[in-house]
Amino acid sequence: MSTKTHTLTGRLGRGRLRIAWYVLLIGVMAVGSYGGYLRLTEGLQSTNLSSSVPWGAWIAFYIYFVGLSAGAFLVSTLSNVFEVEGMHEIEREALFVAIVSMIVALTFVLIDIGRMERLWHVFAWRQPLSVLSWEVHAYLLYIGVLAGELYFSMRRDLVETSDDADGLTGRLAGLLTLGRTETSDDAIETDRTWLKRLGILGIPLAIIFVHGGTGNLFAVAAAREYWFSALFPVIFITSAVVSGMALVALLYVVRARLSHRALDPALLERMATLLAGFIALDASLKVLEAFIGLYSLHPGEVQAWLTIMTGEMWWSFWIVMVGMGWIVPLVLLHRSEWRRKPTVVAAAGASVVLGVVGTRFNIVVPAQLEPALEGLSMGYYVPSTPEWLLSIGVIAFGVLLYTIGTELLPLVPRGEDHD
Amino acid sequence: MSADGPMPGVPETGSDAETYDAMVDVEATDPRDELAKTTYRTDLGVKMAEDARKVSNGELSSEAYWTKYDAEAAAEFGDAYRETPNPAVDCAEGTIGDETAESLGCSVGTMASIAEGLEESDRKGETDDEDDTRWGMVIDLQKCIGCESCTVACKAENRTPPGVSYNVVLEREEGEFPNVTRTNVPRPCMQCENPPCVQVCPVSATYKMDNGVVNIDYDRCIGCRYCMVACPYDARYFDFGENYDGEFTEEGAVTSPEYGMDRGPREDGESPVGNVRKCNFCHHRLERGEEPACVETCVGDARYMGNLEDTDSEVNELASSSRAFQLKEKEGTDPNVYYLK
Repeated sequence: MSTKTHTLTGRLGRGRLRIAWYVLLIGVMAVGSYGGYLRLTEGLQSTNLSSSVPWGAWIAFYIYFVGLSAGAFLVSTLSNVFEVEGMHEIEREALFVAIVSMIVALTFVLIDIGRMERLWHVFAWRQPLSVLSWEVHAYLLYIGVLAGELYFSMRRDLVETSDDADGLTGRLAGLLTLGRTETSDDAIETDRTWLKRLGILGIPLAIIFVHGGTGNLFAVAAAREYWFSALFPVIFITSAVVSGMALVALLYVVRARLSHRALDPALLERMATLLAGFIALDASLKVLEAFIGLYSLHPGEVQAWLTIMTGEMWWSFWIVMVGMGWIVPLVLLHRSEWRRKPTVVAAAGASVVLGVVGTRFNIVVPAQLEPALEGLSMGYYVPSTPEWLLSIGVIAFGVLLYTIGTELLPLVPRGEDHD
Repeated sequence: MSADGPMPGVPETGSDAETYDAMVDVEATDPRDELAKTTYRTDLGVKMAEDARKVSNGELSSEAYWTKYDAEAAAEFGDAYRETPNPAVDCAEGTIGDETAESLGCSVGTMASIAEGLEESDRKGETDDEDDTRWGMVIDLQKCIGCESCTVACKAENRTPPGVSYNVVLEREEGEFPNVTRTNVPRPCMQCENPPCVQVCPVSATYKMDNGVVNIDYDRCIGCRYCMVACPYDARYFDFGENYDGEFTEEGAVTSPEYGMDRGPREDGESPVGNVRKCNFCHHRLERGEEPACVETCVGDARYMGNLEDTDSEVNELASSSRAFQLKEKEGTDPNVYYLK
């Protein structure tokens, strides 16, 4: 199947739609900045956090975006490490989404800490016993690996772009080649080799440290029985893969539609099948986790699960996580001809991307509601308006970064033929 | 007054102030006689004492007083004068201006630092013992009446803001009528031997000191709140920056020298705002040889404070009794707070 990409960049279509999109993003960021203003002036008083529920929406979004990044990255390795046929077309897109997601995730970490101006302390005073200390370093290394991979993946196209495009796009492409402008077969081969090497380094980094480690962060907190399980980091990884894959599939369809590019039904079906498979795996592991938790009859576990399933936020479990995260996509993707339909795959992707947000909230909040000591009062938490506003603003900022990236970078391979 | 004589417990006194004064004069000694017993100058002692009265009357300022006697005192008392911090020069609310304080021959410091200094000089001879101190608390649940005096004393001592309460008393009711028991479980920080909070802190802002107390470095803490999530006793609190504005007079006028450091008046955005806080066994009080505020105030004498390493100490004995237990023993945290059933 041959895919012709007309222009250097995946254009969002010039004209009105494009302007409307930027206006929307900037509008949302403006609204979000009011939340940011309150966060800066009132500190964490602007949140609904308390000493009984110290972690809330921002932590949930942080682990969500770390998961999205790890998932998108693993999709990219299907092409450059495992050499699954026809995945090359989405490799860069996946890598770029992974980078942007990490930036968003770390922004959420920044706004969440009580003393933002001291973020650098984590590099000045390391603590080898702290999972969080290791995580912060792993995140940076991981972003470095992602950027390196994206570079080696894009370099040839960057050289071509800098040769034949004028203006910002061309100049930026020229800069990003970092001076390596050779496009001989040998040079391209070196790129592919290094891409694969970085990918191989990135896989354990993403699985064990970046996302497994983020799950670990919670799992090692033995005081919260609901988190205290070795399956927890594993589930973090599976839901990360699910969300990342869903987002990449969704973006593939949307971007192809907007730039009037032909879609590859075989690639689409491969992604859809993988997505369905990972959803099934993720759901099974979660059911297992819930079963063991409830079967233990340990008050901490049982209470947390009851809160999740029947508490005030029951809908975020049943409707968002189970409904949108599992049932809707599995129904949409269960027939092979539907898996070849771009609209259906995009809908399933969108549903999962939103559904996993529920998963992340259900991880962070319920475990803290039950007090650690009998006799202390029950916690209560729903995000405050400033928390929502700033969250939406940060996400819009990420989407803006992504959009600008798609306009300026050769994220879609130039005029390559794929089988 | 009744015909049967004075009321029990009420001393028989006259009705006018002169009688009281006469009573005091009986006890009074001749200052010259007293000072003659010392090796120091009697005339200087009398002069200083007379002027000191003027200072308390307000006729003379503390500043003028110390300027006047600085040289003479230095000559008379020598090193003893120069090395002892002058209590009138208090950092927070000193009665002597900084400039004058600088010009005085004596050292400058707060009452707290004087007390700590004394502690240190006491300890010099017994450094071996100091290494072995492990502060521990024993709380007798049979004696606790659940009055929450400890909670209040703690707030007053540590000046904690709204939402931060280093000590709480958990009320646990068990059984059904008519067989109901109620147990009050005061909960300070357990100062665990294996503290999960210390394990998780990414910047080593919270750590265990040699004397067993788990410390928080407010200048290093980034406020990530991981330690709060990790604490099995919910003993940690985040300082959201709230204040008891207008809820009582002179709010914020008195500050607590937590960890021996007086940060002055609480200001917006300054640490410990944005940090995690918790009980530290009133470390500043321990340092000057006092018991934690909760122990000192406890009406039922239910709390004991001491060195768990010292086999002769009361806490060591009580913590080893068959009534002793720790909260959540199976967590493996090994608290230094013991309870007696």
